Amino acid sequence: MAGQTSVSDLKKQRRRRDVVQGINIFLFLLPGLLLFVSILIAPIAVSVYRSMYDWNGFSEGTFIGLENYKELFTNGSIKFMVSLKNSLILAAFSVFVQLPMSLGLALILGRKPKGERFYLTVFFMPVLISTVVIGQLWLKIYNPDYGLLNTLLGVLHLDSWKHVWVGEVKTALGSIIVPTIWQYVGYHMLLMYAGVKGVSPDLREAAMLDGATAGQVDRYIVIPIIKPIIRVSVIFAVTGSLKTYDLVRILTEGGPFQTTEVPSTLLENMLFLRNRYGMGSTISVMLIILCFAFALLITAAFKEKET
Amino acid sequence: MKEIKQSKAMKFDTTYVPKGSNPVAKTIIYILLIIWSVINIFPIYFMFTFSLKSNEEIFGLNVAGLPRDWLWSNYASAMGTGNMGLYFVNSILVTGASIAISLIAALMATYAITRIKWRGSKLTNAFFMLGLTIPIQASIVPVYVVLSKLHWLNKYSTLIVPYSAFALSMAILICTGFMVEIPYDLDEAARIDGCGLWRTFFKIILPLMKPAYSTIGVYSYLQCWNEFMFANVFISDSQHRTLPVGIKALSGQHTTDWGPIGAALVIATFPTLIIYIILCKRIQESFIAGAVKG
Amino acid sequence: MKKRLVSVLLAGVMALSLAACGESTAPADTTAPATEAPAAEEKKEEAPAAEEKKEEAPAADATADAGEALTLNMWCIATESDSNRHSYEEAIKEMAANHPEITLNWEAFENQSYKTKIKAAVSANEMPDIFFTWSCAFLGDFVDAGKVYCLDDAYKNYASELPEVMMGNSTYGGKHYGVPLTMNIVGLFANMDLLKEAGYDEIPGTYEEFIKCCDALKAKNIIPFGCAGKETWCVTEYLESVIEKSVGADALNDIFLGRATWDNADVGAAVDEFQKLVTNGYFDPSGAGLTNDEVKANFMAGKYAFYMNGTWNCADFAANADFKDKVKVSEFPVINADKAKLGQLIGGPSDTLAVAASSPNAEKAADYTFELGKLICHYGYLDGCGLPAWTPYGDTSTINPLTQAVSEICAKADSYVLFGDTAMSADDANTYLSYVDQVYGCQVDGTKFIQGLAKDIR
Repeated sequence: MAGQTSVSDLKKQRRRRDVVQGINIFLFLLPGLLLFVSILIAPIAVSVYRSMYDWNGFSEGTFIGLENYKELFTNGSIKFMVSLKNSLILAAFSVFVQLPMSLGLALILGRKPKGERFYLTVFFMPVLISTVVIGQLWLKIYNPDYGLLNTLLGVLHLDSWKHVWVGEVKTALGSIIVPTIWQYVGYHMLLMYAGVKGVSPDLREAAMLDGATAGQVDRYIVIPIIKPIIRVSVIFAVTGSLKTYDLVRILTEGGPFQTTEVPSTLLENMLFLRNRYGMGSTISVMLIILCFAFALLITAAFKEKET
Repeated sequence: MKEIKQSKAMKFDTTYVPKGSNPVAKTIIYILLIIWSVINIFPIYFMFTFSLKSNEEIFGLNVAGLPRDWLWSNYASAMGTGNMGLYFVNSILVTGASIAISLIAALMATYAITRIKWRGSKLTNAFFMLGLTIPIQASIVPVYVVLSKLHWLNKYSTLIVPYSAFALSMAILICTGFMVEIPYDLDEAARIDGCGLWRTFFKIILPLMKPAYSTIGVYSYLQCWNEFMFANVFISDSQHRTLPVGIKALSGQHTTDWGPIGAALVIATFPTLIIYIILCKRIQESFIAGAVKG
Repeated sequence: MKKRLVSVLLAGVMALSLAACGESTAPADTTAPATEAPAAEEKKEEAPAAEEKKEEAPAADATADAGEALTLNMWCIATESDSNRHSYEEAIKEMAANHPEITLNWEAFENQSYKTKIKAAVSANEMPDIFFTWSCAFLGDFVDAGKVYCLDDAYKNYASELPEVMMGNSTYGGKHYGVPLTMNIVGLFANMDLLKEAGYDEIPGTYEEFIKCCDALKAKNIIPFGCAGKETWCVTEYLESVIEKSVGADALNDIFLGRATWDNADVGAAVDEFQKLVTNGYFDPSGAGLTNDEVKANFMAGKYAFYMNGTWNCADFAANADFKDKVKVSEFPVINADKAKLGQLIGGPSDTLAVAASSPNAEKAADYTFELGKLICHYGYLDGCGLPAWTPYGDTSTINPLTQAVSEICAKADSYVLFGDTAMSADDANTYLSYVDQVYGCQVDGTKFIQGLAKDIR
C-alpha cells in the first residue's frame, strides 16, 4: 500500500515538476517570442493576407486574389523586374568582387604582415559609419559640378571620362555598387579573418615544412577550413543585396528614370506615394520568398561542393 | 564550424611568421594593403576637411586640401539649426535600449533552448533563426499600420521594439555559441544545491556569459545605429529623429551649402570612430568571437 | 496706378472658371462680365479696413458671448524654411488679436513627411481640428472616407470674398470641403542677360522663334533649360505645358480628370515634340542627377537661360538682389494654334486648409479656418508666394514685379488645367510620373507613353 502511494506520488510529483518546468521554459522564452512574433512573424502573416487585397490603408479593402502579383510583372510603371535585376547585379558584385577582396585581405592579414593591427582597424572603419553618412559623403564625391571625382578627372585632363555619375543611366547603378562594396569589404574580411586565425598554427607549420608555399597553404588548408564562414558571408551578401535601401534612397532616389529602383524603394513608394498598401505587402512577400530561396540555394550549392 | 572551435582560435600572440615568401610578392602585398588603407581613410579625411570649408573653397581649387580658414561655424549651424546634438542623443538612446532589450531577451531564450532539456528546443531555435534571412522591410507595412492605429508612431519605443526584434536572431545565435561552452556540470551542481532554474540563470549563467555581452553589443550596434528605413518611415517629428534621418533632413535643407552637411556627417561619425579606435582590439575580438562561435 | 491695374486684372481672374475636380463644378465660363468685377473691386478698395472690422467683430462677439475658451489644433507644412512661413505667422498673430478666446496650437512639418503623417492620422482617426492639404485627389481620398467636415454652412458668410470658382478644386459631389489659400501657375522664367547674349531682348512669343532662340543659346554654349530629373514633378512643369499648348486645355483636363482616355494621338505627338527638346540637347544633362533646389540655385547663378516652374518661385527670385533685375516671366508659347491658344495655363489653387470631421468644435473651427485662410492668403500674396485665391484687399503696391507680371498673365487667362500629379489620385499620379520620367529619359516615345498610361491607369 505504502509503496503504491509513493509511486503515484512520484508520478504526481514528476508531472508537477514537468508543468513547473514547462511554465519556466515558457517564461524564459516569453520576451523573445513576444518580440519576434509581434514584429516579425505576425506582420508577415498579415502581409501575405493583405497582398491579396486592393487596399489604400484607411478604407476597406477589396479581395482581388493574385491580381497584385500579376500586376507586379505587367504594370509598366511599377518596374519590379528592373528592381529585381538591380538587386541581382548588386548581389553578383557582392559575391564575385566584394567577397574575393575580403577573402584576399583576410588571407594576407592572416600571414601576420607588419602593421596587421593597423590594417585590421582601418579596413573595418567604414562598417561602423552609418550608411546614410556614407551616402551623403559619396554624393559629394559624385557631384557633377564640384565633386571630387569629376574634379580629379579634370586635373588629370580626362574630361571625356567625366559623368553625371548618379544621374546617367550608364553610371547610376555603378555609383551605388561602389560604395556598397567599399563599405562592407571590411565586415566580411573580419569574419573571414576570424576563421583564418582559427586555423591552428601547427597545421600551417607542418604544411610549410612539407614544402608548401604560403599560397598553397591558403588554398589547400585555410580556405577549406573557413568554408563555413565563407558560406555565411555569401548568404549575408546576397540577402543583404536584396534588402538594399539606404544608399539607393540617398544617392539616386531610384532614378534616373527609375533604372536604379530596388524592391525596398518600390515598397516604400507603394506605401507613401501611391497609397497602395496591398501592393506594398505583395512586394514584401516576394522579398521574403526571394531571400529564403537564395539562402537555401546557397546552402545547397555549398553542400554539393563538399561532397 | 566545429573544427575552428576546437582549434581554440583567437590567439594574437602566436609566433607564426611566413617563411620563404618572395620579396617581390611581399612588396606587392604591402602596396595593396596601403592602397586599400588610403581608399578607406581618404573619404573620412575628405569629409572632415570639407566640414570646415566654405562653399568657395570646396567648389574652387581647394577641393581636397586642408581648409584655409577653419570654419567652425559650420559645426555651430549643424548643432543649431541642424539639431545634430539631439539626434545624436536620440540615436544613443534608441540603440542602447535596443541592445539591452535584445540582449536580455536573447539570454533568456537561449537559456531555455540550450540548458533546459525539452522536446521543442531544436525547433524553437530553428524558428528564431528564421529572423536571419527575413528582410526587415517585409514587416514594415503591417507594423506601420498597427503602430499608427495604436497611435504609437513618433516615440522612442516605436523604434526600440522593432530594432530589438530584428537584432534578436543574431543575438540568440551568438549566445548559443557562448552558452554551450559553459560546462553542464555547473547546472547540475547548482540543482543539487537547491537552486531553481531562475537562480541558476542569474547566479551562474549570467556572470559566465559576460564575454558574450560585448560581442552581442557590437553586432546589435551595427544593426541599430545605421538603420534608416524604419526610422525614416516611423518617425516624422523632429523630436525623435535618429542620426540617419536627421542627416537626410539636414541635407534636404542645405542642398547647396556643403559645410554644415559635412559638419553633421562628422558629428555623426567621429565619436563612434574615436571610441572604436580606442577600443579597437576589444571590439574586433568581440566581433571575431561572434563569427567563430556563431 | 499699378496697384489699381493689378486689382482690376485679378478681378478678371476671379471671374474665370478654373478646371476643377468635382464633377459638379460649372463648365468654364470664359466670357466673364469684365465690367462688373472692377466696380466691385473699387468699392472694396475704398474701405477695406472698415469692411474687415465689420466682418470680424460679430464673429468675435458671438464667441465672446458664449464666453468659452477654445483650443484648436492645426497642422501645416509652413516650416521655418518654407517661403509661406511668414504669412502663416502674421495671419495667426492677427487671428489671436481678433479672437482672444481661441488658442491655436499649430505645428509645421516637412512636406514629404507631412504626407505620411496626415495619412496615418486620418487612418487612425486622430486628426487635428484644422489641417493643411492639397486639393483635388489628395483631399478627395479623405472626403471619400468621410473624415472631412463639410464647409457649406460656413462658406455662406464668406462667399462675397471667396469666389465660388476658387472652391472648385476642393468641391466634391457639390459640397465644399476646403478653404483655398494661394494659387500658382507654371511660369516660363528667363534670364534676360543670357538671352541678350544670344541676341534676344524679349522672351520669344511664338514656338518657332522659341526654338530658334534655344538653338542660338546652344550655339553660344548656354544651356537653355534647367530641370531637376531627380524630382519628376519638375519635368511635368515642362511636359504639361508642351502638351497643353499642343492639344488645348480642355482635352488635357479631360484626360487628367479621367473623363477621356490617355490613348490620344495628339497627346502622343506632343510628347514626341517634348522629347525632341530633350534629344536636341536643350536640357542640362547634369540636371538628371540634381534636386530642384540645386537646379533653382543654378538658374539663379546664371547657368540656364530658362527655368519652367511654379510661380511660387517669384518671391525667392525677387528677393535675390543680384538676380531680380535679370529675370522675367512669361507664358509658354503656343505650339498648335488650331487646338490651343495663349491664356491656357497650367495651375490653380491647390494649397488648402480643411477641417476634420472628428473635431469636437468643427463648426467654430470652420469659421476660424475661413478667416485664417483669408489672412494667410493676404499675407502670402503680399510676400509674393503666389496669387490670391481670395479677393485681395489693402495696399498691394509693394508686391514684387515678378508676381505682378504673373498676375497680368493670369488676368488674360482663358482656362486652367491643374497640375497633373495634384489632379490625379496618388496611385495614378505616380503611374503618370513614372511614365513622364521614362519620356524624359527617352526610354519610351509618345506612342508608348499614351498606350502605357491608358493601360496602367486604373
